[in-house]
Amino acid sequence: MKKNVISWVAQVITAAILGMTLYSKFTDAPEVVELFTKLDMGPFGYKLIGALELIACILLFTPVSIWGAILGWGVMAGAIMGHITKLGFEGQMGMMAGMATLAWLLSCVIIYLRKEQVIFIGRMFGMKHK
Amino acid sequence: MASSLHVDLHKVSKFVNASIPIGFLLFLAGGIFVSFYLHFLTVAFLFLMIVNFFYMNVQKEHIILNNFGLMGQARYMIESIGPEMRQYLFANDREERPFNREERSEVYRKAKNIDSASSFGSQENFDSTEIKVRHSMFPTPKEELKPFSVTYGEERGLDSAYTVKRPIMISAMSYGALGVNAVRSLARGAKQAGIPMNTGEGGYPKYHLMEDCDLIFQIGTAKFGVRDTDGRLDDAKLVEIASKPQIKMIEIKFSQGAKPGKGGLLPKEKITDEIAELRGIEKGQDVVSPPFHPECDTVEHTVEFVKRVQEVSKLPTGFKICLGKLSEFESLVEEMKRQNVFPDFITVDGAEGGTGAAPKAFLDGLGLPLTVGLYSIHECLKRHGVRDKMKLNASGKLISPGAQMVAFALGADMVYSARGFMLSLGCIQALQCGNNTCPVGITTHDPSLQKGLDVPSRAIRVANYVKHIEHDLEEVLRATGCKSFSELTTENLYIPADTVLAEHYNSVFNTKLAS
Repeated sequence: MKKNVISWVAQVITAAILGMTLYSKFTDAPEVVELFTKLDMGPFGYKLIGALELIACILLFTPVSIWGAILGWGVMAGAIMGHITKLGFEGQMGMMAGMATLAWLLSCVIIYLRKEQVIFIGRMFGMKHK
Repeated sequence: MASSLHVDLHKVSKFVNASIPIGFLLFLAGGIFVSFYLHFLTVAFLFLMIVNFFYMNVQKEHIILNNFGLMGQARYMIESIGPEMRQYLFANDREERPFNREERSEVYRKAKNIDSASSFGSQENFDSTEIKVRHSMFPTPKEELKPFSVTYGEERGLDSAYTVKRPIMISAMSYGALGVNAVRSLARGAKQAGIPMNTGEGGYPKYHLMEDCDLIFQIGTAKFGVRDTDGRLDDAKLVEIASKPQIKMIEIKFSQGAKPGKGGLLPKEKITDEIAELRGIEKGQDVVSPPFHPECDTVEHTVEFVKRVQEVSKLPTGFKICLGKLSEFESLVEEMKRQNVFPDFITVDGAEGGTGAAPKAFLDGLGLPLTVGLYSIHECLKRHGVRDKMKLNASGKLISPGAQMVAFALGADMVYSARGFMLSLGCIQALQCGNNTCPVGITTHDPSLQKGLDVPSRAIRVANYVKHIEHDLEEVLRATGCKSFSELTTENLYIPADTVLAEHYNSVFNTKLAS
């Protein structure tokens, strides 16, 4: 029961972080264009990432929330990679990197708490199969 | 033992496990120096790396994953589709259990109203141990055949005596074990075929009643539908159920072939809100009925309980039993004689029976097979001079006319089948009955799996199956030269010496082999 509550709180926060920049990504907002230009990514790139984030957000509110967490984990891992290799942590970037890290960690928590939803994840923690 | 073609899976797995981090580093470098898009693969490899690390270093439950990592998953994946692959591609027509493809196809053909003649000889092994029916040089002309009729309760002269005109009935399957569509298809088919259907121990038979077919109400050891708060029989509830015009007989379940010595079992996956309500149980845990009726702790009380149900219900009442010890049954018969109380029928279930979910030890290891159990009970009743006080129903893998004929010759008055009817509905023997994942929607409550089980068309198949079984049985009966099933005896059978039946009744049958 407690596990369930913690997981739901994590799911809501993760979905909020993932969903925050969706609107600006799909409307080609200047700050998004600028950010992704630094990564050599054009509209295809950030819209693809936006689409993945949108799917993750939706999945986080379904009975297969673990898949949302896995997808979110991946996208956020990419974001962190971007900050380490290209974007840096100055000012605004630092806050974005922090958010990405938070979402990434929360995804880890969700994956752990919801491990029983997917058998190959469950087995990482020694879940028995029928 | 290394040969040049040998694939060492352990080495392959080491290679795979080493290549995952290498892939990660390669794509990481690519992502930094070539294109950020390559980080999609960096992330994927990072994920695989973490999963692999956990498999090999954290979890201790699965040896294969611990030693081989991700590649070990392939074993589980391939193994999980093994049953389907074997059934589709690799198992030959006569090797699957409990029913092989030949046996299933026969039911399917009957249900679909297709001619069941085959060519170029039997697929059976004629050196094998199966019992065969002996035919006569002088078959019975069709017009001399006596119409089939079994009247339950006639021995006691009951007003409510119930006559069945066809030689097969639908054996006990509860709503709970079966889904709604399956219950309704069977009930509607039973109505069309004019045969009764057993409700199983599923409590108030709401869906069975909906189709208005004749019903045999089963009282299980947990007494779902007629229990008081202590789990004993509530007479008032029994009167209420027995007064329904569709309920023709009552069957008290003492034991069941699938799990003799153990009560009914409904896995928690299959307990919906409605089933919990109909049975008066809680959701979220397996429901295990007690192994015996609390009222029936001695032979004396057992016979008294049969009498009580007979008196309260005012209907033909019998019990279902899978024979364990013949001596116990013998003392039960003696007690019946002492109290002058006889059940109107006894259903003998062979240990090979098995629609119910049951622990494997019970499925495989307990109870007498039908041929031995049925013949023992038949002979025991004859020895005590009370065989004519009751009818004998036989059940346990009796899905084909051949096996049913053997049951008639061993003393049965009527044949009961459950799985035969499931097959007629379209069961593909996926063996998922206890998991709520039946792919053809018969033993599941999942609406998306029940969707394909169309009640009107499946009911017709049930009725077709009955029609063809009856037709085949009559043909075989005529071939034996008998005019009715009650004339059949073991004289009409060829019982090879190494059948369980012959071994059990060594002195009786081995001398007859040459005859």
